[in-house]
Amino acid sequence: MKIIEIKNLKKTYEDNSVPVHAVNGVDLSIEEGEFTAIVGPSGSGKTTLLNVVGGLDDATEGTVIIDGMEINTLSSRKLTDFRMFNIGFVFQAYNLIPVFTAKENVEFVMHLQGAKKAHREARSTELLKAVGLGEMMDRRPSKLSGGQQQRVAVARALASKPKFVLADEPTANLDSKSTENLLDIMEQLNKNENITFIFSTHDQRVVNKARRVVTLEDGKVKSDEKRE
Amino acid sequence: MIWSIAWRNVWRNKLRSLVMIAAIALGLFAGVFTMAFMQGAVDARIESATKTELAHLQVHAPEFLVNNDIALKIDNADEILGNIAALDSVVAASQRLIAEPFIMAAHGTGGGKLIGVVPEQEKKVTDIWEKIVDGAYLEHDSRMPPVVVGEKLAKRLRLKVGTRINVQMVDRHGNLSVKGYRVSGIYRTTNTSYDESTLFVKFKDLQAQLGMEENSAHEIAILLENGDEASAVKPSIQKVAGNYEVQTWKEISPEMSLLTDSMDQYMYVFILIILLALCFGIINTMLMAVLERVKEIGMLMAVGMNRRRIFFMIILESVLLTVSGGILGMLIGSVVTKFFETRPINLAMFAQGLEEYGFASQIYTSLRGETLITIGILVIITGVLSAVWPARKALKLNPAEATRTE
Ligand SMILES: Nc1ncnc2c1ncn2[C@@H]1O[C@H](COP(=O)(O)OP(=O)(O)OP(=O)(O)O)[C@@H](O)[C@H]1O
Ligand SMILES: [Mg+2]
Repeated sequence: MKIIEIKNLKKTYEDNSVPVHAVNGVDLSIEEGEFTAIVGPSGSGKTTLLNVVGGLDDATEGTVIIDGMEINTLSSRKLTDFRMFNIGFVFQAYNLIPVFTAKENVEFVMHLQGAKKAHREARSTELLKAVGLGEMMDRRPSKLSGGQQQRVAVARALASKPKFVLADEPTANLDSKSTENLLDIMEQLNKNENITFIFSTHDQRVVNKARRVVTLEDGKVKSDEKRE
Repeated sequence: MIWSIAWRNVWRNKLRSLVMIAAIALGLFAGVFTMAFMQGAVDARIESATKTELAHLQVHAPEFLVNNDIALKIDNADEILGNIAALDSVVAASQRLIAEPFIMAAHGTGGGKLIGVVPEQEKKVTDIWEKIVDGAYLEHDSRMPPVVVGEKLAKRLRLKVGTRINVQMVDRHGNLSVKGYRVSGIYRTTNTSYDESTLFVKFKDLQAQLGMEENSAHEIAILLENGDEASAVKPSIQKVAGNYEVQTWKEISPEMSLLTDSMDQYMYVFILIILLALCFGIINTMLMAVLERVKEIGMLMAVGMNRRRIFFMIILESVLLTVSGGILGMLIGSVVTKFFETRPINLAMFAQGLEEYGFASQIYTSLRGETLITIGILVIITGVLSAVWPARKALKLNPAEATRTE
């Protein structure tokens, strides 16, 4: 089943004297259960593409359709709710809430969704165990390593039961061991729970794990290769 | 969880928040203490006005207070007095004769208000007899009738206990009457202008000098259990007093209630100025808190926190910060004022000036619960208003901030 459909997507930044066509006509569709890497040189538009697909930024032209819903047409308020229920995010800099423990970070999204406390507790515990942090649930981010923080971020991204997870360079700040560990966890979740992941990366080892690799150059798709 | 994130965010930058909390606490301590101090001064002034000077209600012939004409008298004073004293809410009542004589002593002359009182009655209504600093209250009986004078007048005319003064006035028949009195006692209240101009003699002596009819008086002063009930009790006294005029102490002395009201207003202006000054500090603190969390706020928006919730979170942080300082300041303020409620603050250095205006030189602070509640509400409003601008700044942020690197 097709969950993301991107049609002739363009994003132009006008704030400099010369307009920058960060995404310049991308057509792409993502099926449920895919494990996709977006690659390309620095400045090729990976972050911009993920932002627009995730509804964090608006498109200049073209459409993004998620599960039948054209997200460009949503009001900012509806779009926020749409993100909350449909998209999980993992950021390069982890971006956890520093004053919350690992468990509270995972619970928070469910709290925003209006989930009951008992449900939140059960699910956050289950997810943190799944990413191997069952023993560290009550630690704040400052007491966790980068790799552990990023695993909390993955647990948080899944907490809301999203249709897919977007991760912009999730391993860029991690050492190779943590990178491998995180990728294993993501792969397991993808295989066992059929969770769709789309991640951008510079790291060839990460690219090697992907089952589909989309290469961008100058805001355009240069190649799109699937491997089984 | 929004409350918990807001509360913990307050403590993220401990030093910055503590400095702000200390500033708020200090400002509110100053505000609370000054208010309690001024309230204490006003309370003392009102208490002395009612307990020593006016009592709670007075009955006169209409126009008497305007003209001070001795012919404007209450005719059946004994009967009215008896009926008033029999009322439930009345503690005691006292009848008085009032003249405005010319006073001649060996070392000078002066004017004033001469009040003829029945000592046994008057002692139950006002406490002048407790304010005697030398001699005795209208009790000594020589051949010459006794007079009690205030300390300030005694100093000016160099009067001592036993000194004779001559009191001159026009009597009921229009004749000039001069009579000698001997100083039996000297009193001192906290109101020096009262002390300088008010003299007390026995009712029957003044009655004789004025040639007043039996059973008539110029004034009936009434003491209640509680001065705040004066206007509530007034109708029942009016019923007994017939055509005579009944007035509460606030009506007789409107400057007293004006004093209370205007003091309240001044004090709230004072508090508002303090809060306004603190406002700038809070705005600055909250602005820093928002600007150093741009990425985090972007992330919160990305994962589903809508603008209304972000706005609420920032406002809540500001309110929690402000209220922490506010509670601390009000707590310290209350403890310190509690201390000075029983141990007076002595203003002897400035006392002379104050007593000219009728204010005591020893002030017991007085803090009302409703004052604290009002200040508390103002503190919360300050917290909210100071956060509006920083919170709006947070709303202008974009969720894409979350993915920005650099
Ligand atoms: N907010 C912005 N305002 C203006 N220009 C921007 C903005 N964000 C990105 N760009 C420009 O858009 C182009 C694409 O940037 P983008 O961040 O999407 O690239 P990227 O592929 O993620 O690069 P990297 O691998 O370095 O993360 C770049 O030329 C960049 O300078
Ligand atoms: Mg990027």
